[in-house]
Amino acid sequence: MKILNLFGAEGKMMYWSLRRYMFNTVAMVAVLFLIFMGMFWGVKTIGGSGVTGDSLDSMLVGYILWVSAMLALGNTGGEILSESQRGTLEQLYLSPLGAHRIFFFRAIVNILFNFIIMTIMLYLSMAATGRWMTINLLYLYGMIFLSTLSLVGISFMMGGLGLIHKKISSVNGILSFGLIGLMLLPTYPMTPYAFLPFIAGAAAVRNHIVLGATFPGWWYLFIAANSIFYMVLGLVIFKKMEKKAKRLNKMNQY
Amino acid sequence: MSQNCIQVKNLSKAYSDITAVNNISFEVPTGEILGILGPNGSGKTTTLKSILGLIEFDKGSIEVNGLSIKKDRNEILTNVGAILEGARNIYWHLTPMENLTYFAGIRGIPKKDITDRAKYLLESLKLTDVANKEIRQFSAGMKQKCALACAFIHDPSILLLDEPTLGLDVEITRTIMDWLVDVVKKEGKTILITSHNMDFIETICKRILIIRKGEIISHETVESLKEKFARKHFLIDLQDKPQKSLIESVSSFGSASTSGNTIKIELETLDHLLPLLKTLDDAGIKMLNFRSMENDLEDIFLEVIREETE
Repeated sequence: MKILNLFGAEGKMMYWSLRRYMFNTVAMVAVLFLIFMGMFWGVKTIGGSGVTGDSLDSMLVGYILWVSAMLALGNTGGEILSESQRGTLEQLYLSPLGAHRIFFFRAIVNILFNFIIMTIMLYLSMAATGRWMTINLLYLYGMIFLSTLSLVGISFMMGGLGLIHKKISSVNGILSFGLIGLMLLPTYPMTPYAFLPFIAGAAAVRNHIVLGATFPGWWYLFIAANSIFYMVLGLVIFKKMEKKAKRLNKMNQY
Repeated sequence: MSQNCIQVKNLSKAYSDITAVNNISFEVPTGEILGILGPNGSGKTTTLKSILGLIEFDKGSIEVNGLSIKKDRNEILTNVGAILEGARNIYWHLTPMENLTYFAGIRGIPKKDITDRAKYLLESLKLTDVANKEIRQFSAGMKQKCALACAFIHDPSILLLDEPTLGLDVEITRTIMDWLVDVVKKEGKTILITSHNMDFIETICKRILIIRKGEIISHETVESLKEKFARKHFLIDLQDKPQKSLIESVSSFGSASTSGNTIKIELETLDHLLPLLKTLDDAGIKMLNFRSMENDLEDIFLEVIREETE
């Protein structure tokens, strides 16, 4: 019950912040849409008639996957940085439920909020390009949720580093752009790349939605295990860094 | 009531080659307000943060209500609230009511359970009218009152307040002081507080701990400290700034110092009073005012620190 109240508090915090910074929220959707349209017209102009409907669909789904991954990856590290700058980080550490739970639920709320943004972006893009796909949103978001949990784990590792080193946004940037390349790697039936975080889930989403590919149940279990592994690893490293930050009295410093 | 609520034993903490706290021990009985005084960098904040488990200490032990901060931190935190120095402590982009709801929520307490408490805190801190306004627009004093309300929202029995009146004007400091005294009286809280504001500490604390360079140099009740250091001093306001030679000659009657046109002198014996006045008169010094003063807590604090330095 206490955990549900914590989840509710993070949901409310997200709602209050969005309401107060409404312009920022609208601008975020607009920027994501404009970037996609820029890419779309670029590909159309360069590729001409060689650009098929499938490759455009793949581009749109790939873009949604990449944006979701980028936002999940930067979440905990970014939150720790901004809490530290605001001077509220130590108050979160006074919660008897533990700061790691606060940041975990904050990440979940962020992922869920991103789904709303992505849906708006998705339909805006389809309307603007005139290419309408039949998308199973439940599958899309269910799989994104499952596979981005591995990136939340990576984000916790970055957050742990952030507790000590504070400015880690450039590392986040490198990881986010590195993901673009990694997401194109083959993973199924079972390649070594499948053991990297997020990649196997992203490939499954793209192939299922764009090409209609189906996968056996064990593949989804593998994706879930991959996410759990990185999530646990992230939490363990985060807790270790937290201990170090407490030893060095770095918690309140920015 | 005599049971120790906070028990610190042989606490030590060093940051590489700097010793922040060196083997200190003290207790805070249930329902008492203990003040910690000390110059900047003396180890006050390190002590408070060690009790909160925000700093991992090197040696010693800390128990809160009989529970170890190292083993049972989460259980201890259900009953502890804090204001930390140099931090905002609250979200300025939210309203006081939103902050109260959020800080209760991250402790696992639903909004319906804090409605009455929030109403009481906002009312008693005179924040009801601004309960739904963004904190960013508030004065420093109002922001600090909101932080206090958030620290009290889960009705903790133990409060650790690090410089709660830092940078606040006299009026708001008085308001916060009166509020804390009232809350302690009504709700019987145990409070550990640090402040550079001596009036504040003198008014609300029963006992005072003076720390210097990470070591406790005094741990007494306010009364016994005052008794021990009860000395009269005299303040003599002059028309002109006193020359160095004049200070040297009046120093033969006791410890003298100057501040602007005023000489502060603590006479070794009252028999020196008349010779002192005669010396000033003979030197042709025009006196504007002559006041006899008791040592206040600030004088005592400075004296204790000075004694230790010497």
